[in-house]
Amino acid sequence: MSEPLLSLSAVHTSYGNIEALHGIDLVVYPGEIVCLIGANGAGKTTTLMSISGCVKTRSGTIRFDGKDITQMPSDRIVRLGLAQSPEGRKIFPRLTVLENLEMGAFIRDDKAGIAADIERVIALFPILGERRHQAGGTLSGGEQQMLAVGRAMMSRPKLLLLDEPSLGLAPLIVLKIFEVIKTLNAEGTTILLVEQNARMALRHSHRGYVLETGAITMADKADVLLADPRVQAAYLGEGDH
Amino acid sequence: MTATATARRPVAPKPLWKRFELYLLLVLVIYPFFPFLDQAISAISGEQLRLDRQLVNIMIFAILALALNLQVGYAGLLQLGIAAFFAIGAFTTGVVSVEKYPFQFGFWGSIIMAPIVAGVAGLLLGAPTVRLKGDYLAIVTLGFGEVVRVVTLNLDAITDGPRGLSPIPSPWIPPDLAAGLGDVAKQSHFVTMYFVALIVLIALVAVFTLMERSRAGRAFVALREDELASACMGLNPAKTKLAAFAVGAAIAGFAGALYATNLQTTAEPNTYDFNYSIIVLCCVIIGGLGSLRGVLLGVGVLITFDSVLSPVLTKLIQKGVGASDNVFLSLTNWKLMIFGLALILTMRYKPEGLWPSARVKAELHEGTGGDK
Repeated sequence: MSEPLLSLSAVHTSYGNIEALHGIDLVVYPGEIVCLIGANGAGKTTTLMSISGCVKTRSGTIRFDGKDITQMPSDRIVRLGLAQSPEGRKIFPRLTVLENLEMGAFIRDDKAGIAADIERVIALFPILGERRHQAGGTLSGGEQQMLAVGRAMMSRPKLLLLDEPSLGLAPLIVLKIFEVIKTLNAEGTTILLVEQNARMALRHSHRGYVLETGAITMADKADVLLADPRVQAAYLGEGDH
Repeated sequence: MTATATARRPVAPKPLWKRFELYLLLVLVIYPFFPFLDQAISAISGEQLRLDRQLVNIMIFAILALALNLQVGYAGLLQLGIAAFFAIGAFTTGVVSVEKYPFQFGFWGSIIMAPIVAGVAGLLLGAPTVRLKGDYLAIVTLGFGEVVRVVTLNLDAITDGPRGLSPIPSPWIPPDLAAGLGDVAKQSHFVTMYFVALIVLIALVAVFTLMERSRAGRAFVALREDELASACMGLNPAKTKLAAFAVGAAIAGFAGALYATNLQTTAEPNTYDFNYSIIVLCCVIIGGLGSLRGVLLGVGVLITFDSVLSPVLTKLIQKGVGASDNVFLSLTNWKLMIFGLALILTMRYKPEGLWPSARVKAELHEGTGGDK
């Protein structure tokens, strides 16, 4: 394959004296959807936060689009084309839907392009168009997640980091979100996804990584992981639903 | 596109000619030409007021309050030492314009120098401290306020210590213009200061109004709501806060330059004490933190009370009782208690302030989405 868009090598991240990531190696190639699955506390969110610069790594290197971004402040990383939709949605509750989307385009100043992209988000999530003047905090959980994904799209990222986009959502909404992830990917956005809903994530990804207590334990094509008995036992539960 | 897409905000703004601010502005512009109000007040109470001079003071105070509002209201930085930057502006004006020093830049030079010096001071204080959370920043700025006061008091060689620097010359205006103003030019110092302060205040309100609707305005709201999410949007929280802190300090310095020029002296350093910072903060909080109109109202109510109403009432009370030198009957002596009481009552019954912006109101009434 071509040059990786994102690569992590031996990344260690600590919170105080407690090491959360014990040397993560991970690559994402352009055009891929890669998912990172694992149990609570395995370090999935920490991995994303380390990539986006919101948490400082202790050692190791992170390269994005040919540049070393290991110690770069998060606002500069966004400008390189790496957007993150943080865990728990984190939309701005008192800004309107439109203003939330405009905040997503904070690093851009092409008014026409921003307006076009807002329309693009609304085309993907029509409900956001109906609620455009409503404060973000008045939306339902699913709508807020759509807004969070839409907002992350607004910076026109090359790589989109999505942290638990299905968290706490009804199955139909989860399907809708994953459909949009597929669409975005087909339009050329590379996606790194963190999910608890391992089955859904693996079905929609090209490759997957399994994270256990701060270390990568498995890495393979998504369908291989789906069929792997260890993954099935630990993350997919019994039977099919 | 749905029908709602036409209006950016749910309520369309009133046309300009229907807005009462415009009429208030007209009154302010023509006010100095109508000294009969002073005569009326003097006839009723016997207090010799110069309302236009008091209005200059009120407007300078409003400029200072807008500076503090940028730091506390927009950027969410609890700053308890705004008087320090006000003092830095005033003493910079003194240093660059009194006869003692070789600079003699005059008023127009000092309104450039004062904001620069105060802004740099803000940058130096803010750089290591804006990352501090709420209370800690308040402690640092409180300390800074006292440090500046004590330093200016003791730096006798530069600031003339408790005497302050004076006389600070009046603004120079072209002789042709002065001649054209005719009679008004005879009392030119206060008239010039009146219009300089008015123009600066209008310009600041215009700039802040535009800013509230701009990208920067949204960035401040976003930053107050969620720092992590703001950082994910490519906003640098520390830099944004530092910029707000430094610009606020610079505007406070500008207000200090106007203040010193208006008084024609820097006044003694003890003028710029902790109480002064707190009174500005009272105006901002009682009026409505983060709300332009609220801050102007807060200054209008509190400082008008302090500089116009309280002397007039005092005269009337003392006349009524017949004791003209009783300190307990002087409202000015009760000022801090009255302000404190007003602050407590506001916090208890209307925490968003007397005239809040819709957004801040929503932030304080959690979970109502701004409808309440």
